[in-house]
Amino acid sequence: MSSSQTDAPLLSPQLLGQLERLELVSRKIFRGRMKGERRSSRKGQSVEFADFRNYVPGDDIRFIDWNLYARLDKLFLKLFLEEEDLHFYTLIDTSSSMDFGDPTKLHYAKQLAAALGFIGLCRADRVKIEALGTSRSNPSPALRGRASLWRMLEYLNGIQPGDNVPLAQGVKDFCLRNSGQGILVLITDLMDKAGYESALRFLLAQNIDVYVVHVLSQAEIEPDVTGDLRLVDCEDSDVAEITVSRPLLNRYKQTLATFIDGAKEFCTRRGMSYIMTSTETPVEQLVSNYLRQRGLVR
Amino acid sequence: MNFIPALTALQWVVIAAIPPAIISLYFLKLKRQPVEVPSTYLWTRTIEDLHVNSIWQRLRQSLLLLLQLLVLLLAIIACLRPGWRGTKLIGDRFIFLVDTSASMSASDVGPSRLEAAKKQTLGMIEQMESSDVAMVISFSDVPRIEQAFTNNRSSLRQAVNKIRQTNRRTNISEALRHASGLANPGRTSEAGTSDVQVADALPATMYILSDGGVPAVPDFSPGNLTARYLKIGTATPKNVGIVAFTTERNPEKPGQLQAFARLENSGEEDVEVEVALYLDGALVDASSVNVATDAAEGVNFMLNDIESGVLRLEVQAKDDMSLDNIAYATINSPRRARVLVVTPGNDALKFAITTEAALRVADVSFAQPAAIETKEHETLALANAYDLIIYDRCVPKVMPEANTLFIGSVPPTDDWVGETPKPSPLIIDIDRMHPLMHLVELGSILIYESIPLKGPEGASSLIDADNGSLLMIAPRKGFEDAVLSFELVGQYADGEINAKTNWSRRKSFPVFVMNAVRYLGGARANLDVQGALPGQPVKLRTETPVDQITVESPKKVRTKVEREGQNLFVFTRAEELGVYTVREGADSEAGQHFAINLFDSRESDLVPREVIDIPYFDEETERVGVHATTAEPSRQELWKLLLIAVLLVLMFEWYIYNRRVYL
Repeated sequence: MSSSQTDAPLLSPQLLGQLERLELVSRKIFRGRMKGERRSSRKGQSVEFADFRNYVPGDDIRFIDWNLYARLDKLFLKLFLEEEDLHFYTLIDTSSSMDFGDPTKLHYAKQLAAALGFIGLCRADRVKIEALGTSRSNPSPALRGRASLWRMLEYLNGIQPGDNVPLAQGVKDFCLRNSGQGILVLITDLMDKAGYESALRFLLAQNIDVYVVHVLSQAEIEPDVTGDLRLVDCEDSDVAEITVSRPLLNRYKQTLATFIDGAKEFCTRRGMSYIMTSTETPVEQLVSNYLRQRGLVR
Repeated sequence: MNFIPALTALQWVVIAAIPPAIISLYFLKLKRQPVEVPSTYLWTRTIEDLHVNSIWQRLRQSLLLLLQLLVLLLAIIACLRPGWRGTKLIGDRFIFLVDTSASMSASDVGPSRLEAAKKQTLGMIEQMESSDVAMVISFSDVPRIEQAFTNNRSSLRQAVNKIRQTNRRTNISEALRHASGLANPGRTSEAGTSDVQVADALPATMYILSDGGVPAVPDFSPGNLTARYLKIGTATPKNVGIVAFTTERNPEKPGQLQAFARLENSGEEDVEVEVALYLDGALVDASSVNVATDAAEGVNFMLNDIESGVLRLEVQAKDDMSLDNIAYATINSPRRARVLVVTPGNDALKFAITTEAALRVADVSFAQPAAIETKEHETLALANAYDLIIYDRCVPKVMPEANTLFIGSVPPTDDWVGETPKPSPLIIDIDRMHPLMHLVELGSILIYESIPLKGPEGASSLIDADNGSLLMIAPRKGFEDAVLSFELVGQYADGEINAKTNWSRRKSFPVFVMNAVRYLGGARANLDVQGALPGQPVKLRTETPVDQITVESPKKVRTKVEREGQNLFVFTRAEELGVYTVREGADSEAGQHFAINLFDSRESDLVPREVIDIPYFDEETERVGVHATTAEPSRQELWKLLLIAVLLVLMFEWYIYNRRVYL
């Protein structure tokens, strides 16, 4: 695996400048634990008027609407929307298959996670980035505020490939440890022979805003192989012997296209956003164009 | 189509083992390069559909394997030597006679008939089995053995390729004798031994590749030869050729010259051609001539004020042979002979040598026998002041530096011996081919007496009689001495002249004298060397007694020619058509010219003959003579094309291998 582009920094200064102007958007308004820059459906103390209700002895008399009393000669209490923070989760697949490509899919995933995490930190969202297979004994930190940027990058740089946890198992473990609602971005190549369906169903059950970013390397999209080959799976050492020919390559591309279409349809049917990207697509382009189109950022 | 396998049985077994070996290598030796991939998930799903692990899928998709098998297949077919139109050569010993005469330069069969004949010969050589032998003889008017009997086809091919076109006429007789030498071995003729055959008769098949324009050979016996005549040339060639071109001076008007040419049309249609005459390269006249098919037509040109030069006559017509479209004639300055007649008195001789015709070509002077005793005469005689000295009934002390004619006397040298005169000789034979005897008819002349002669080495008798030679001629350094062994006139004691023969009153006498003036005097009334044929020796004489001349050919090739013992030079390299220049001794200026032309009606008649007239009975056709065979024995083979295809496929395989192009 080439390390030429893999050695590039996760966030370039130019990218940081672009990301500062963005904010994460959730299609569902969720209640966070702390006050953030987001609207919550809970009615609380804020400057934004929400509704009236009858005065009951014991309510705070500061919220009595005296104008309405003067007109109606009855006591009513003003209600306001309470502002809350957003939980933003990024799940990164760190299996061995993610360590292919130039840049590697894992590096690309880290870049994307860093970009989205930076957006959330700028907006005082609660950002948590986790690698699949992270154990309870060593959870990833929850971060908030711009000052946590370095901690986020430190964590991301420490993520290494090789943790061949099945996708479903990893997602399940995450869901059990993180019951909070919010936005979750799953960055994976979906190359799990057991399938991705059960893993995504776990996420559905969380009632969380799910974005599936399907990352593939250019070599997986347009294989440049010739001759008689013995393909060895890097995760399970499974072997496939092939004699490369044009019909074989055409057939492979058809299989890949079917696989991608299948994943897209699965996600779409279940209200999850699906984006397929190649490691050759710049992260800033992915974030500024594609994710913006999908509604993850604005 | 038939096949001539080029390999032995063992070699075929080896070749047959190669295809299975290649195929097995592709299966047994199929080494796959291991490559680590992110996941075999999609690949597994892909290959399940294509079943690429099946044997026949591998075969279908292995372009390189297919190409290698194709190369092998093409090579095997090439080794089988497929071909068609292959009438098998008859026998196992072959003689190829290839005609190289002038008519074979015709271009009705491209590029020329000779090239077509060579190509056919090469095709027949390719048909030979490994045990067959063949020889190659090329012939024009002389045969040339290009390659003796051999089974080495490479040597035979080289010999055929070396055959060159000539400008000569055709005469197949010697070539046939060479060819029959092996098939019909001679017999011993030694005295005292029984007549035995010197070698076993080896039958052979003789292929004559010619257009058939050969004279008949009536005295040839084919014996064990089987003859086949392969006619070369199209049935309707076109040719208008010059078959004669001569010049003649007007005897009444010096400087006026008439040039006459004859054209023959051997084509199927009447033609009108333009004929142009050039003098020393400049156009002087032109004419339009209509020549009917298979007919001849003459054309005349009159030229004035011509002293010397080279005439070129050109027929401007596009036909199938260009060699006979140009003819040359040389006009050499007339040269007068210097003749001294030493005689005590001979009216007949005087009258014969002072005719108008003789005085036109010679300066004649007379002297008494006493004059040759003087110092003055001796000095002149030794200084080559005369071309011819006629000694009538007298002899000099010393032989002069000139040709001589002794009448009734014998030269004063030891190698000439004259015996006692014998009466009334009877003429037996005359050498009419000698220039001295040209048009001389002696008939029943009477001669009183003659001196039996013995001449020096090299002497030849021109008139034979019962008591010896009456006229002999012999060489002497650069000169010739002719001796007439009888007197024309005699003198009685009282001085009265009496005739010793009645010949001097015959018409042939002045003819003889004129011949002597021309031949011995060297007078050049003739304007060029007449009748010189390409390839034939040309006899030349010089004005001065030099030992060497230089002859320059039309292509500027210079050849030195030594004197042949007489005042005669024989040039043997007159192969090219055109004008040759002669330089005498160390002279840088041209002394004379002569022209070599084709001038042969048979060569100019390009229509291929159906029969070669030799006494040969063709058992197939039951006819006499060798008739043109319709079957073309040469064979067209494909092996060269197949080998080229092999090379192309190999190049394509290399391309496929390097470019990784897939089906």
